[in-house]
Amino acid sequence: MEWAWLIPVFCFAAAPLIVVFGERLPGKGAILSILAIGGGFVVFWVVLTAFLGASPASEINGTADCFTSEFTESLTCVYEHSWFHAADLELVWGIIIDPLTLVMLGLVTFVALMVQVYSLGYMKGDPNFGWYFAVHSLFAAAMLTLVLADNFLLLYVAWELVGICSYLLIGFWHERPSAREAAKKAFIVTRIGDVGLLIGILLLWREVGSFSMSEAFEAASTGAMSEGVTTAAAILLLLGAMGKSAQVPFHVWLPDAMEGPTPVSALIHAATMVVAGVYLVARAFPIFSAYDADPLVVVVIVGLVTALMASTIALVATDLKRILAYSTISHLGLMMLSLGAFGYTAAIFHLLAHGFAKALLFLGAGSVLHSTEEQDIQRMGGLRKVMPLTALVFSIGAISLGGIPILSGFWSKDEILAAVNDHRNVAFIVFALLTALMSALYMARAMFIAFYGQLREGMEQVHDAPWLMAVPMALLAVLAIGFGFLSFNWPGDYDGIGSFVSFGERHGFSFTWWLGILSAVMAVGSFLFAWQVYLKGRISLDNAKATFAPILKVVENKYYFDEVYQWVIDRVVLVFSRIIAWFDRAVVNDIGVNTPANSVRRLGYTLRLHVTGHVYSYTLAMVLGFVGLGIFWWFRST
Amino acid sequence: MTGLTENLDLLTPEFALAGLAFLVLAVDLFLPEDKKHLLAWLSVAGLSGLIVLAAVMLWGEDESLYDGLLAVDDYSLFFKIFFMGMGIFIILTSIDYVKQFLDHQGEFYALILFSILGMNVMAQSRELLTAYIALELLSFCLYVLVAYARKSPRSNEGSLKYIIIGAFSSAIMLYGISMIYSTLGVTRFDDISLALVGALEVSPALWVGIALLLVGLGFKISAVPFHAWAPDAYEGAPYPVTAYLAIGSKAAAFALLLRLVAEGFVPAIDRWDQWQLIISVLAGVTMVVGNLVALAQRNVKRLMAYSSIAHAGFILAGVAALTQDSQLASNGIMLYLVGYSVTNLVVFAALIAYFNISGKEMISDMGGLAEERPFLAACIAMGMFSLGGLPIFAGFAIKFYLFTAVAEAGFLWLAGLAIFSSLISLYYYLQVIRQMYIESAPQESPPESPATGELVGLEGIPRASLAASPSILLVSVLAIALAAVLWIGVYPSPLLDTIEAASRAILPGT
Repeated sequence: MEWAWLIPVFCFAAAPLIVVFGERLPGKGAILSILAIGGGFVVFWVVLTAFLGASPASEINGTADCFTSEFTESLTCVYEHSWFHAADLELVWGIIIDPLTLVMLGLVTFVALMVQVYSLGYMKGDPNFGWYFAVHSLFAAAMLTLVLADNFLLLYVAWELVGICSYLLIGFWHERPSAREAAKKAFIVTRIGDVGLLIGILLLWREVGSFSMSEAFEAASTGAMSEGVTTAAAILLLLGAMGKSAQVPFHVWLPDAMEGPTPVSALIHAATMVVAGVYLVARAFPIFSAYDADPLVVVVIVGLVTALMASTIALVATDLKRILAYSTISHLGLMMLSLGAFGYTAAIFHLLAHGFAKALLFLGAGSVLHSTEEQDIQRMGGLRKVMPLTALVFSIGAISLGGIPILSGFWSKDEILAAVNDHRNVAFIVFALLTALMSALYMARAMFIAFYGQLREGMEQVHDAPWLMAVPMALLAVLAIGFGFLSFNWPGDYDGIGSFVSFGERHGFSFTWWLGILSAVMAVGSFLFAWQVYLKGRISLDNAKATFAPILKVVENKYYFDEVYQWVIDRVVLVFSRIIAWFDRAVVNDIGVNTPANSVRRLGYTLRLHVTGHVYSYTLAMVLGFVGLGIFWWFRST
Repeated sequence: MTGLTENLDLLTPEFALAGLAFLVLAVDLFLPEDKKHLLAWLSVAGLSGLIVLAAVMLWGEDESLYDGLLAVDDYSLFFKIFFMGMGIFIILTSIDYVKQFLDHQGEFYALILFSILGMNVMAQSRELLTAYIALELLSFCLYVLVAYARKSPRSNEGSLKYIIIGAFSSAIMLYGISMIYSTLGVTRFDDISLALVGALEVSPALWVGIALLLVGLGFKISAVPFHAWAPDAYEGAPYPVTAYLAIGSKAAAFALLLRLVAEGFVPAIDRWDQWQLIISVLAGVTMVVGNLVALAQRNVKRLMAYSSIAHAGFILAGVAALTQDSQLASNGIMLYLVGYSVTNLVVFAALIAYFNISGKEMISDMGGLAEERPFLAACIAMGMFSLGGLPIFAGFAIKFYLFTAVAEAGFLWLAGLAIFSSLISLYYYLQVIRQMYIESAPQESPPESPATGELVGLEGIPRASLAASPSILLVSVLAIALAAVLWIGVYPSPLLDTIEAASRAILPGT
């Protein structure tokens, strides 16, 4: 198990090799990149097998490295090495292996592998083919390090690396101004949250005396860290998580992030980057749930607002990738909602189920984009006839995410609803059900409009995905259908996902009948409704649209978030910046920096003259130096 | 008390190294002119074998030879391997240069081997006269090496200055040793500390002696005000010799000084601690003057000379911070020596590669290098970043560790001064980078030397002897050294573990 560190190292090594030798490698380095992530996937299975073989009470438990965590009550192994030490400062780098990390490793390696294979077909012929795969490798490596990190410092380094890679990939087609803008937006908006994260980490460091996560959790739970500090640290960590996981009001970067190549969107939305925030909250759950778990109230509200707001926007958006983007935000909100309602298992389970389905949807959308160069669903229609495979897998993804029973999305969503129902008041469950309803509606809308009905003019020559793109989609489709079955209590030792990934007391699979039936009815109803509206045209929405026109306008403009930000930047930030800039130029630069710098330089030019080039002056300097030493010494010793 | 010839086998690496040098000289007689570069490979192979031999044979040994004149311990083993390893890389970087620009190739490598022998003995001597003889062996080799470009007047001038000042400082050092002997009656480091502890009072003759000794060593490490030879010698010497001066001879002098202070002065620190203040003042003056004067340099060799003076100041600060109950400072010094040498290797290997293809050494000539030779420019830039102490490069880790040690020992003002002068140093390091990346290539006209006003650059070098592109050999040396710089910068722990073992040999107190 200690070899788990190899998983990111493969990808880390691949990235510079591709940059340097890319032109000479087979497939311009793409093969190397795929081998690296594939190797990581293999190591993941080895580690997983070792972990399952070791738990729960084998000889490895209780050794120096492995113990049963008092928080998650599952086997946790920590492998640490000294990184750098000087005097009292001791920095370690180490990895943690526990169920949470393992499932994340599985998700990231698998989805990244699928996306990279898909990209072989999708990015074919791009002039920067090698660079694309190099950054892809680095992106995967950073994300893998992030989920393996056992201390906040390493986590932060990986966190920032993820940010940089996302910047590079979103802005991959940097000759397009919109891609450049989107990359900048993603970087800057997530940076705002990162500052919070950094302050939170430093706060914990000051209180605990090290960057170690387990020590911080210990301090939070035993009361060594006061309630105020714990709450503040949790809120600061949450800020970072909100930035990366695109929670309101930091969600604005994610819809624009689709300016990158579509496989990148699949990776960002499903496996890396956006789930980092959810992972962070889950990882730091002992801090969030210490004392009275007040920070979780914030988490649950943020999650609910995000989920609701994003799903309404997804209902009216017409750009296929934009619908998927808002759907991602909404589902991330659901995960936060679940965490905020103590639904630790449900959140992680939904993270995985959503990850597979969303990767599938994006790859399907990419396939459409690849052959039609069209993103607006209103100009699509009947694509099923020309690209049957893409239509099939997209539909599977859509109904899985829409929550149609027995597909994986249904089970994971149901667990979230159950958690909210058990731990939070009735308003939350009502709004959560509303979100689930809308989620089914917008997925059905996108699916029916784009793929069913009459084929549009000029789309007859469209071809289906080549096999390099088809195989990853097919594999992901299998998971989108069947992954949910992992939540059951199967005969034998397996007691459902809840017995593997859990926080505190383990619980097997449980099904709240009234919730399950209600959400199933709602999901099926939504699909039937959408079928009637968009395909058969039997129900017209024109009247409803007319009635709610003002509200619709607000939603269609995405609640004016971008406009408000723009106003704040123009009127507040830039004005303030100009004042600061003047101060910087006049006071800091001219008086504070240039004046001493110039005098230092003049001093240097003057001092240079003492090296005359004459040997006698050199020896004189030595003698004078000695005399100086002697006099100094004499003064000291008398 | 053991017999003189007992344990003599522990000196096998030294005997073998001397034998290797003579072998190179002998083979040189029989090789035709166009095969001389094989001597370099012979030296490299020999040194590699010796590194393995020394590591296998001397690992964990802790013996004193010749009645305590020489120590065979982890400390000397560490420096032996370090010096021989550096020697390998210096020889590898000089092969092309020597072939293109110098005569008498065989003796060049033999001289380097002899000087490594001198450095090895310096690191393991624990007695003043033994140390002095080893120092002279090193110095004589260097005098010849600096003058190796016989046809170049600057090489001759630099070497002459170096010899005169060197002889002067040798005399001063010998005088200091004799004064120490006349007052204490001993010359072994540990006896000195015992005598200091036992002495009723420290007589003026003793501290004059010690001051003279410090002046002699100060010359070797080019501490201000005993540094003035360095820029001239660095500028005049053939390029690989300049690199060797900055990397090898400085590290050897510090290896000697560190053992002298740790074994001779530190155990008596409760009785007598003025050396700390003396060395710290020297350190402060050295780092400030070195960095300030470097600002005004236009020749890249002179720039590196002042840079190495400034770095000597930083390391001296570590020497001043040596204490009995903490190995932090001595770890810091050794870490700094390794990191600094490896970084310098990157810079010099790239500069040599550039010189081999252009014959130029002024900073202003380097405009547009990033366009022409992106790899060389990137190597120089990363080396400069590391010298300036920026993170992820070795320079950050070693400075952080050493300055922490200095501050922990109570020399807060010195640590502050070190950080401040590091800040100044960034200016001239970045100037070089700016020249390479922002300025365009200069017009073809030979620039003037700032000191003498004469034409420099392609002096005496026919165009035909310039190479078309950097050799694979230099590029691979650069790649390895660069990897080492990043390794030390990112993950210095394995190296630190080794260094801690070496520290325990000279500072067993903790």
